[in-house]
Amino acid sequence: MDLNALTECLVSTSCMVTQVTSGFIIGMLLFLVAIGLTLIFGVMKIVNFTHGAFYMIGAYLAMTVFQATGSYTLALLGAAIGACLFGVVVERFFMQRIYGGNVLMQLLVCYALVLILDDLVRIVWGPEFKSMGMPDAFRVPPLFILGGIVPPFYLFLIAAALAIAVVVGLAIARTRFGKTIRAAAHNPAMVSVLGINTGLLFTGVFALGCLLAGLAGGLAAPVRSLTPGMGFSILIESFIVTVIGGMGSILGALVGAVLIGLIRTFGALGFPLFTEALMYLAMAVVLIVKPSGLFGREAA
Amino acid sequence: MTKTSWTSMNRRGFLAAGAAAAGTVSMPWVASAQAKTIKVGFPTILSGRVAQLGTSSRNAAQMEVEKVNAAGGIGGRAIELVVRDTKGQPQEAARVARELVNSDGCELLIDAEASTGAFAVHEVARDLGILCIHTNSETSSLSADPKLKLPNAFRCARQGIHDSVVGGTYAAEIANAKNLTRWATCSPDYAYGRDTTAEFVMYLKQFAPKVEVISEAWPKIFQPDYTEAITKILQAKPQALYSCLWGGDLTSFIDQAAIYALFTQMQFYAVNMADYTALTAVKNLPAGIHSGNRYIKTFPATPENAAWGDAYKAKYGEFPTNWAWQNALGVNFLAEAAKKANSADGKKIAEALRGLTIKSPFGADGTVTMRAEDQTIVGYAVGWGTTIPKEPYVPEMKSVPWQRIFELEAAWKKSKGFA
Amino acid sequence: MKSPALRDVLFGLAAFLVLAALPLVTTSSALIDFVIRCAALGLFATSLNLLVGYGGMVSFGHGLFFGMGAYSFGIIMQRTGMPIPLAILLTMAVAALVALVVGAICVRLKEIYFAFVTLAFQMLVHSVIIAWTPVTGGDQGLRGGIPRPSFLGSNLADQKQLYLFAAALLVLGLLAMRHIVSSPFGYTLRMVRDNPTRAGFLGVDVYRTRLTAFVLAGVFASLGGVVMSLFVSGAYPEFAFWTMSGEAVFIVMLGGTAAFLGPMVGTVLLLLLNDFVTRIAEHHGLVLGAVILLFALGLRKGLLDFVLDWRAARRTRAEAVAGTVVGADKMERIAT
Repeated sequence: MDLNALTECLVSTSCMVTQVTSGFIIGMLLFLVAIGLTLIFGVMKIVNFTHGAFYMIGAYLAMTVFQATGSYTLALLGAAIGACLFGVVVERFFMQRIYGGNVLMQLLVCYALVLILDDLVRIVWGPEFKSMGMPDAFRVPPLFILGGIVPPFYLFLIAAALAIAVVVGLAIARTRFGKTIRAAAHNPAMVSVLGINTGLLFTGVFALGCLLAGLAGGLAAPVRSLTPGMGFSILIESFIVTVIGGMGSILGALVGAVLIGLIRTFGALGFPLFTEALMYLAMAVVLIVKPSGLFGREAA
Repeated sequence: MTKTSWTSMNRRGFLAAGAAAAGTVSMPWVASAQAKTIKVGFPTILSGRVAQLGTSSRNAAQMEVEKVNAAGGIGGRAIELVVRDTKGQPQEAARVARELVNSDGCELLIDAEASTGAFAVHEVARDLGILCIHTNSETSSLSADPKLKLPNAFRCARQGIHDSVVGGTYAAEIANAKNLTRWATCSPDYAYGRDTTAEFVMYLKQFAPKVEVISEAWPKIFQPDYTEAITKILQAKPQALYSCLWGGDLTSFIDQAAIYALFTQMQFYAVNMADYTALTAVKNLPAGIHSGNRYIKTFPATPENAAWGDAYKAKYGEFPTNWAWQNALGVNFLAEAAKKANSADGKKIAEALRGLTIKSPFGADGTVTMRAEDQTIVGYAVGWGTTIPKEPYVPEMKSVPWQRIFELEAAWKKSKGFA
Repeated sequence: MKSPALRDVLFGLAAFLVLAALPLVTTSSALIDFVIRCAALGLFATSLNLLVGYGGMVSFGHGLFFGMGAYSFGIIMQRTGMPIPLAILLTMAVAALVALVVGAICVRLKEIYFAFVTLAFQMLVHSVIIAWTPVTGGDQGLRGGIPRPSFLGSNLADQKQLYLFAAALLVLGLLAMRHIVSSPFGYTLRMVRDNPTRAGFLGVDVYRTRLTAFVLAGVFASLGGVVMSLFVSGAYPEFAFWTMSGEAVFIVMLGGTAAFLGPMVGTVLLLLLNDFVTRIAEHHGLVLGAVILLFALGLRKGLLDFVLDWRAARRTRAEAVAGTVVGADKMERIAT
């Protein structure tokens, strides 16, 4: 334990700026993955264990496109669209068969898909770790804000993630698609009685989730090493985020993600050997105090 | 190129094969036994994040096995490697190792498992009494701790303490010259990371007494994001940073630290940097990272070593890893010991291995020795140098004479209660 | 057969005799190792099914108790060298105590939240195992082998005797769990699973029932851990990692949750698949995944559940055919 370092940081603006922004960086990538998880759970009532795999596919696609074209914008598009298309295939062929089924069977199918996707990535891109490299536009010295250090790429990352949060949030609050989603989350039987094609709706939600996960992968690719199985660690943390925030709540996912990010950065200062455990502790505490998560609706 | 540099070895192997053949002629009843291949069990990790450990270990071992077989095998019998995936789980490693011996009929084990898996295979070796050569575990205690010692288990891999002696000496020299007194460390939070870092710091302080460590970050192994560790280090404003992160973790750390311009603010000592996969994976490698050697075909700067690296590259389309040379050497040791014992029997090979010195491209002076007292290799090439972002990556490696390493290692063993 | 309990005991005895006779028939050490691993994972998975199948509580943190069993037993043996049976009892007591504390917090929670809090506790224990190096050996695990002093004339350092011991523990453990699920408590547990509110109205203490099940499951999981630590002669942090829990959940799903022996079937199936596929295929994730998909999407339930349902359906069909005339008669009467 190193409480001195923690208190020293809490009273220093420069340290606070650096730590808070880095907390947001960790949080925002988690958030992009967690949105999909939480939406899919909210609408289809399925715990999508394959979600990390789409993050992985996004990262690998981004690397390939970036190396082929040299354009990071194209790389991000490729990552998002590729993951989305892949999601549609997986949803149509496998997920549709397990909606409303036994929860354990759903897990089993997801587990099998993760095994298969990891191995496919290993066959296509090889077993050794890869690194995409930083796009030239962001290869500039870091900014100093109030004495704190902030890399421009991370500013871009935070801005992009927040923009996506706003867009998705508005889409769900305002558009017809969003209303249907909310209605389906509340009462799927009613939605299908009203003549809405729930099959198509489910595919749409799943595809949206995968698109965001792929995008997260693309955004993470310049700063993370790419390995088969890289989806797993982010999946576990994103689950913690959705559970803390409340399954099905987008706002909850945002708050949960930032919370986990801050726990990690400040935990690293104060409790360097116990940071990982702090996350689980936070989850346990939240669930014991409010079992449905911070922003979750109380289950009936 | 490969052929010329290996002729001496081949010639000796050829002579041995000739002798074995002569033996066969004079003793016809042995012929059937000698025609049979000798199976060598090879538990390793072929799936998951560190699958490269398994693939490069297997490739290198296979390459050497082909040479040994071409020269007549061991005890006149061709070696057959039986490679099995343990998925990096200790209970699987134990199961696979037992199965290799009990049902696949392997008579020897090359344990290419890492960390906990190696300890699990070690226990199997204890149970079954089979000859076992650990080729990937660098954890010092595996051979240094007398409680773990087995007459039938050997280690043919570098050892953390040796790296640290050389690294500490190298870093202290620079620290004294440039007056680097404020140091930080950032290493993975598991036994290898903690031990190696503690040993490095111990020697650094011993040789540069003014050094103090002002910040330590301990990310988890395989952690995808190091931002919190990076900002923590930046807060502390050290003059130099030590890390024993490795593989994809190290490259992630470099990518993430580079955008904080961390490498312009401090010197970076990363013991596991000088590895081809890591060196080539990082797209914009900051110049001037100090590193220990993992496998570099220019160190030792001998034609034998360069030839070996090129042969591997030609055969498998990628450069060898640190795991690769260790496993190649493991096979070489087996073959040489079997030749010395004139037998393929595990007990006799073990007897011959103790204290055996063989010629090797990976030796600091062209030879590597299996030290008798703790059954681990010494005399292999250990060096530290400064990396550049293109070939040869580390133009100049500095080393410490092995005699000096032995003295410091002995003192360390005493302090640990191992000797 | 007079009573179901007697039938179970006889069945168990027969199973043990068959297992005990195995080494007489075969000399394959691999087969013997296989049965020992089946014993360890089978006890572990069956204990999880007490929660999943009978209690309706899907725990993602059951590996905590498996790891706890392996570590407690290993540490006790390395430090005290007490007789093995005593050490096993002590290990189970430790597991019971830990399960009581963890369960007291967790069993209030519903479904997915229960799953995640159990997972959280498991990861906390995993962190402790890794951090508490002087006792647990940290991330390198308990090294140096687990001493196996002989007791009552048996020497577990011998693989055959270890095999018999593991088989005995397996049969005894399964019998005990079988007894639990067919006892009145077992029926209360199922009632709580199906309708907790109703059970509450009927005067059942829902919380206490769940907690009891949690503690019992933890105790038997630790027994599985003991067998595993004897097999590998050590204990490793991976035993208490979430992947271990995942494996148990996986086994239970594969074998089936409704039949008592479902998890045993699942254990044998998974180990066979695992051993066979890793042997023949370099890309075993691909093969294993495809096989699981076929299972999950083809059968849509665990193997034993599928077989039993299929048999039950056939029986009903047969009865239906036999009773068509009467049935048709009845139908007519209802229709008119």
